[in-house]
Amino acid sequence: MAVAGVNVSVEAVLENQIQEVSLDGQEIYVPPLSMSENLTKQAHKIDFYRDETEEKGKPASEGEQDSGEKTLTPFQPSLWPWDSVRNKLKAAFTEVSVLLDVLNIVKEKHYMVLDQVSQGSQDSMESRAESRPGVHMLSKKRSLLSAANILMAGSERLRRSQSQAESTIKSQSDFHIELLKLRQNWRLRKVGSAILGDLSYKSAGSRFLQSGTFEVVKCSGENSIEQEGSAPRMLEVVIPSELEGVAYIQVEVKPVPDAMDLTSAILKMPAGLGQVPTDAYWQQKLEVAQNVLFCKELFAQLAREAVHAKTSSPHLVVGNQIITNVFPGIQLSIVLCHSTGKDKKGGSGPHKLEHNHVLEHSLHQLLREVHYKAINHPPPHPVIGTLGVSKRRRMAGPSGMSRSELQQMMESESLLEQIIKQTRHEVLRLRTMKVLDRLSARLSDPLVACHWSCLNSSLQSVVKVMISSYGYEYRMMSQSFILMIGVGSIKAITKEGRTFCLSFEGQDLEDLVMWQLSQHHTIVAQTLGKMMGWHLLSHSGNCGVGDMETVGTASSIMLAPPGHNRVLSVKSGPSRGMKVCVKSLQKEGLPSLSAVTDPKWKVVGGDFQDIDLDKIDGRNVAAKLELLMATLSKAEPH
Amino acid sequence: MALNFMDVFYRAYLGEPPNDALSKSMANSVVTQAIQGGIAPYQEYLLQGSIVDTSRDVLLHRLQGLCDNAEGMPQKFQDHEMVFMMRGNTPQQIISFRVRHSLHQRQNWVLRYTGQTEIGDKNRQTLVRTCCDVATSDNVVQFLNEMGFRLDNEFIAKGFFFHKGRMRVTVSKIYKILQHDNLDNLEQLTMSHLVELSVVAPVGQEQIGEDMKAFAEQLKPLVQLDKIDHRRLQTF
Repeated sequence: MAVAGVNVSVEAVLENQIQEVSLDGQEIYVPPLSMSENLTKQAHKIDFYRDETEEKGKPASEGEQDSGEKTLTPFQPSLWPWDSVRNKLKAAFTEVSVLLDVLNIVKEKHYMVLDQVSQGSQDSMESRAESRPGVHMLSKKRSLLSAANILMAGSERLRRSQSQAESTIKSQSDFHIELLKLRQNWRLRKVGSAILGDLSYKSAGSRFLQSGTFEVVKCSGENSIEQEGSAPRMLEVVIPSELEGVAYIQVEVKPVPDAMDLTSAILKMPAGLGQVPTDAYWQQKLEVAQNVLFCKELFAQLAREAVHAKTSSPHLVVGNQIITNVFPGIQLSIVLCHSTGKDKKGGSGPHKLEHNHVLEHSLHQLLREVHYKAINHPPPHPVIGTLGVSKRRRMAGPSGMSRSELQQMMESESLLEQIIKQTRHEVLRLRTMKVLDRLSARLSDPLVACHWSCLNSSLQSVVKVMISSYGYEYRMMSQSFILMIGVGSIKAITKEGRTFCLSFEGQDLEDLVMWQLSQHHTIVAQTLGKMMGWHLLSHSGNCGVGDMETVGTASSIMLAPPGHNRVLSVKSGPSRGMKVCVKSLQKEGLPSLSAVTDPKWKVVGGDFQDIDLDKIDGRNVAAKLELLMATLSKAEPH
Repeated sequence: MALNFMDVFYRAYLGEPPNDALSKSMANSVVTQAIQGGIAPYQEYLLQGSIVDTSRDVLLHRLQGLCDNAEGMPQKFQDHEMVFMMRGNTPQQIISFRVRHSLHQRQNWVLRYTGQTEIGDKNRQTLVRTCCDVATSDNVVQFLNEMGFRLDNEFIAKGFFFHKGRMRVTVSKIYKILQHDNLDNLEQLTMSHLVELSVVAPVGQEQIGEDMKAFAEQLKPLVQLDKIDHRRLQTF
């Protein structure tokens, strides 16, 4: 202790662990730990559990569990160095969270109330509970009420938001679904913000100038049209004013009135017929408007043709009516009826609807055919040939057709001409039908039966007229002829192959039928004679002797029974009727002459005697003739 | 159908007043031009493309939907085309005529002259070439031979025909004729169909190109109709 002031330094010995001693005695130390490594090392030493259990007084069992876990950690050496620290921190965090939750529960008193445990006896507690039932009830009631209010408010809000969303979505989707449906049937295009549609027949081949543009409008929530029993519609179509309302083409075939009243056409506007309700569905509206356009096109076409037509009797176009003569005394009127629905209702009373459906349908068909031909051309062969030219026309050049041939080819019938032809045929057919019906109803002796062919065209039909006697239909061939009804005349073909051209007048046909009826009687006599073995002496279809017939010619037949002792003569004319005579031959009529070699020449001569057919039994001429002939073939001449 | 030239011509020939003012003015202009120029000023606007055989039916359905003759089956055709050439002193002087006749309607023969194809710039939508079609009788081949033309090549085109307005669409397959006399002995050239969109119209109707382009756009994913430069093809 001698020397004072000697500084003794106290410091940690640099005692790093020796890792290796090299052969030359140099020691290689393990490098000292860095700060972080040191921290890790130190942190490992902390025992968090011990502190927790000590501070919070946790039950020992939990601590034991934890220690159990703790013992597990050394078995997971692959975990990263901070793992055990993290685990411990995490466990600590969980504990703190739970503690916080408990504290929250306790503090906010929403869910749980911590109350001081009353120290009083059980009796006093009961008495207190009994003394305050009102308070209990009140508190319960209040809490229930508040809970109910919260629930009600929530449900109300939900309902409101749902209905709002529904309505917006529905209106949106409805419009678009409707638009989709519309697009499936109609042509639409978008111009700017508007949606325009086209209901014209242009895409089907029409060349009518009037446009058929309509607009598609979306109905908003307020002005969407409510309909009874159906959902409000979100889509509406706006149709141009000239296509509004209902239109149709009315065709009438009628006798020419004495005083032609041209104003009748204008007065003929229908009232209250086929009104389109303003709230109709768009499909119906569009269809009706399209029909209006079609009728207008049809009428415009017909009117143009009527004005340009060069015929002997000019067609009359007045306002919305075309009048033309089909036959003398019969006129065809085509009227365009267009009611906009805005006119005053009533006034004209019930509309007389005596119009011709068939011809109206034909007119529609004819225009459709024009449309079809406008876009459907025959394909050119070869394919580079000129488009839209018929096969015949294509051959016109190579085959060197003349000008007149080409001109013939250029000719095409206008709609008006075609419909006039059809009308003529129809009028003629109806006339024929009427004449035949009247005759078959009036005549009973030879029966007149008509067989109308079920297949006919709009310009030709055929009827077969059969004339027969009742009771003899199968035993003898009946007289028959065919009538071919054309456009302006009727062609009649009789059984023997003769053809007659009849005019459109009904009288011609009646005369023909009457003449054929008269012929029927002689043919009956001939057939009966053949069946009974009689000899036909003469038969003349057009007998030139006797009284003149007013119409046609009479026919006659002469028959002899097997014994040749009599001659039966039957003459039948269309207007004079039937005459039956019998001649008895006298055996000794002539003196015997050497010039007469055959005895039959001895029995010529004698007089004819009339026979009153009315006095012979039988229901018709055929039966009477049969009876007469049977009698004559038996009886001996007196 | 647009008023075609032949119609106008026939009307002019017949001395008949044409239906409307348009055709009247057109008839006058066309006929006077024809008289002055000696040949009808006629142009063919053309777009071409091709489609493989397997996809042909899809294209046919599409065309049926787009074109005018939509009802029924697509109209078929089968044509025999012969190309006749006459060479002048220099190789540039080649005159060629195409003779085409239908194998469905055998009496129909058409002699066609087509001019030089103009590709034009980008503004022009289609190929344009002057063209003159003449319907002839069946001895046109003999006539050409006697004039000194020689048969250069021939083929058979089988296919389908459509039209939309005056646009003509053909989907056809080209066949090689193996034996000269036997038109049934054929061999197909490729595994695809030739699609052509063409309009024959008087000169100066450039609007057609736009219409054709618009129509070609409608067929876009199926077939790419385009201006095909034939001269460039020949150099390949």
